[in-house]
Amino acid sequence: MDESLQELENELKTLTPRRASTRWLHQVNRELAAELPASARPRYASATNLNSWKWLGWRTAGLAAVLALLAAVGTSLRRTEPGPAAPVNTAVAVKPAPAISPAATYQPVTATNVLYDLKDEGLVKVAGDNPARQIRARYVDTYTWKNPRNNASIRWTMPRDEIRVVPASYNPN
Amino acid sequence: MEATNDHDSWKHWLEAHGPKLLLCARQWTRSFADAEDVVQEAFVRYWRHQRHLPGDPQALLVTSIRRAALDHARRQARRVAREEKADGGLEEREFAFEPAGEDSDRRREIEAAMQRLPAGQREVLVLKIWNELTFEQIGETLEIPPNTAASRYRYALAALRKELNPACHG
Repeated sequence: MDESLQELENELKTLTPRRASTRWLHQVNRELAAELPASARPRYASATNLNSWKWLGWRTAGLAAVLALLAAVGTSLRRTEPGPAAPVNTAVAVKPAPAISPAATYQPVTATNVLYDLKDEGLVKVAGDNPARQIRARYVDTYTWKNPRNNASIRWTMPRDEIRVVPASYNPN
Repeated sequence: MEATNDHDSWKHWLEAHGPKLLLCARQWTRSFADAEDVVQEAFVRYWRHQRHLPGDPQALLVTSIRRAALDHARRQARRVAREEKADGGLEEREFAFEPAGEDSDRRREIEAAMQRLPAGQREVLVLKIWNELTFEQIGETLEIPPNTAASRYRYALAALRKELNPACHG
């Protein structure tokens, strides 16, 4: 390459591409943060920590669901108890039954669990000092009940940690 | 690039190398906004699938950016082939260099001259000068022999020298 081309090349190298905009960097930042493995994301308190404030929300939701279920079962039982004997008269117009409480007709429709984190927590010792790997799986379980009369539904969502201990062995052969 | 495996350091890497990658993407897109979309897509793809691979991340990313740009062009139906860009729409392009003080006229002159280069020469020039790829890497990225890349680079410099003020580069 002759000298003038070399000189031009050097001049071009002095030009600096314009800086990327902050808006764009933030945009990529957000997208990449979603791609980061769970282990690299900012740490939060474990969902199994019963002192965690998050449990307040879960407890409230769970309690509401349980109360709704108890109400449903109670109403249903009251309706099925036999009443005092009464003369049967099929000719008489039957008085319309009182409106059934919507809670009485809630039926379970779906139960799902979503695995959102799977972490190998390394080697542990189990009975007999045998090595094993401890794997923690974190799920969110969701149960849904629905009232077919008015399409109202109750959804109960709970976090769940599942720890699996898998025996590990090493065979050099 | 190993450092980008860490959540805190990838941002610094992108801040440092983002401008080069955007300039590179700009060769294959119609606007700076398109270039941003393409680099973002390529970088996320790289992050997801390739960040653990050995080799020069810059070269891998440039290849990924080129593919993303071609996909983008197809999706947008703006270009059916990269070569078509060489003949049309160059006037609407603008190169994104940092203003360099009193030399802004010279910078604009160089940018204008670069825009008049054939696309094949311009992309080689950008990959060589500002992305610091070797001719071999450029060849792999553009799917051309390294000698062809080197020739295009020389032609590009010669054409620029001819276009630019002879008083400076005569």
